[in-house]
Amino acid sequence: MYEEPYRWVEAVGNRRQYLDDQLKEGTPVVGVAYEHGILLMTMSKGTPKLYEIYDRLALGGMGHPADLEKLRFNLLEMAHVEGFNRSASDVTGSRLVKYGIAPVIKQAFEEVFKAPFIVKILLAELSQKAGRDGFLTINYDGTFEEKSRCAVLAATSVVEQRMIGYVRQQSIVSLKDAVGAAIRTWAIGDRAQRSALEDGEGHNEAMIDTTEQVTDAETLYAHVRRCIAEKTMECALLDRQVQGPSKYRALEADELEAVLPTDLNPSLS
Amino acid sequence: MGIQGDFYKLLKEQGYVFGVSGQAGARQELTTATTILAFKYREGVLVAGDRRATAGNMVMYDRTDKVLEIDQHSVMAIAGVPATAYEMARILEHSFKYYRRTQLQELSFEGKLRALSKLLKENVAAALAGTGAVAPIFAGYDAGQEAAKIYFYDILGAEFEGVEYAVSGSGSSTIRGILHYLNTWGEQPLSTMPEEQATVQALRLLTSAAEFDSATGGVNRDAGLYPVIKFITAGGVRAMPDLQLRSLFESRVARSV
Repeated sequence: MYEEPYRWVEAVGNRRQYLDDQLKEGTPVVGVAYEHGILLMTMSKGTPKLYEIYDRLALGGMGHPADLEKLRFNLLEMAHVEGFNRSASDVTGSRLVKYGIAPVIKQAFEEVFKAPFIVKILLAELSQKAGRDGFLTINYDGTFEEKSRCAVLAATSVVEQRMIGYVRQQSIVSLKDAVGAAIRTWAIGDRAQRSALEDGEGHNEAMIDTTEQVTDAETLYAHVRRCIAEKTMECALLDRQVQGPSKYRALEADELEAVLPTDLNPSLS
Repeated sequence: MGIQGDFYKLLKEQGYVFGVSGQAGARQELTTATTILAFKYREGVLVAGDRRATAGNMVMYDRTDKVLEIDQHSVMAIAGVPATAYEMARILEHSFKYYRRTQLQELSFEGKLRALSKLLKENVAAALAGTGAVAPIFAGYDAGQEAAKIYFYDILGAEFEGVEYAVSGSGSSTIRGILHYLNTWGEQPLSTMPEEQATVQALRLLTSAAEFDSATGGVNRDAGLYPVIKFITAGGVRAMPDLQLRSLFESRVARSV
C-alpha cells in the first residue's frame, strides 16, 4: 500500500504524529557553555540522560531509553575506533553526527515498515580553545542543527524556541551562572510541556505559543522545587580544567549544592 | 547478544589485526632494551623508567617514555619492543575508556590486569620469534581493595604480583639485587619511604642500572634528560616534573656517583 507516493507521505506524517506523541512527556535537556567548559543539565527519573561519549564529547538525550542506548553505543563505537585508528583530534561531533548517526536515524524514520528511533539527541563538544565550544542537536527524523553557546531538547520545536530565547538572554560566565540559567531554562521548557499536556488532546503547537511565558526566577525555581520531589537533577560537565585528555565529569552532589541558586538549595538538602 | 563493552573485540570486528605471527630467523636488529622498576612507597606505588631505546649496539633514541599512563589510575611500564608495547598501551587505553563509557562504571583492577595478559598471549608468536617481545610492569590503584598494586608479566602473558617491588628490562638484574638488599637491610623498608626519598632511591637505582647495562640510558645533565618517574596513589597518576628530578639528582644522587 505504501508504493504510492501519496500513501508514503501520509505514512511518514502519521509517524511524525506518533513520535511527537511519544516525546511529549519527555524531560527537556539544556546545554550551555561557560568560561571553563560546557554544562549539560536535565532531570531524570532513575535512568540517566547524560553520558560521556569521548574525551571532549558528551551526550544528552530524551525519548525511549532503549533507542537512546542503541544510538549511544553507535556513537561510542564510531568515536573509539576513529580515536584508536587516527587520533583523538579526528573524533569530532560534526563527523559523528553527519556521517554517523543522523543518516541512520533518518533512514529508520523514513522506512515506514520498520520502527523509528523515539529519540532526540544533543551532542556537546568542548573545543581546544574557550569560546569555540559547540552543540549539535538531532531530531527523530535525522534533521540536525549546529549551535554555539547553548542548545536545548524539548518535546516540540515551539518549546525549544522558548527555551533558547530565554537562555540566550542570560549572562553566563561562571559555573554558578551556568547552573542557574540551565535550571531556569529547563523549568521554562518543562512548564510549557506540562501545560500543553494539561490542555489535552485538542491541543496543538499554536496554542502553546499563545500561553503566557513566565520567566521570573521565583516561579521557575518553585516549579523545580516541586519536580525535585519526584525526579533527580542531573548535571554533567565537559570541564576544560580537568587534567588529562578526558574532560567529562558528573557534577557531584556537594559541588552542585555549592553552585545551586540559593532558592533551590534547601529543597535538595 | 552478550554484554557489549569489549573494545578489543570491536577492533577485531573492524578488521584490526594485532600480534601477527613473527617469522623465525629474521635477523634484523630490533629496537629494544630498558630498565623499568616499580616499588611501593608510603603513599602508593612509584614507577620509573630510563629513556633509552637501542637497536643492537646503536642508541636509537634517548627521550623514550617507557612509563605510559593508561588511565587516571594505572600505568604500564614497558620493556622490550617499543612498537608492540606502544600498540598494547594504545589498545589498553582505549579499552578502559570504552568500558567505562559503555558500561557506566570503571573496569575492575583485575579486569585491567587480564586485558594486558590477553594482549601478551595474542602476541606470543611474535614474542617467540623475537619480533615483538614485551615484558611489562602494570601498576595501578585498586579501588576495590583501596590499595596501589604492582604486577609484572612474562612475554607469554603470565602475571605475577610484585608485593614490594618489580623490575624488568635488560638492566633489571643489576637493580633487582639492590632492591632486595635495600628493602631487607636498608635503613627502612621501601614501603615506608616518603615520596622524595623514594624518588632519590629510584634515581640511584636507574643510575646503577645504566652503569652496568649499555642499553639503559642514565641521566644526561647537559641535555637535561632525566628518567621518567610517576606516582600512583588514591588520587590518581602523577608525574614528577623534570625540574624537581634535576634538583634531587644534583643534591642527593650526583655527589655519590
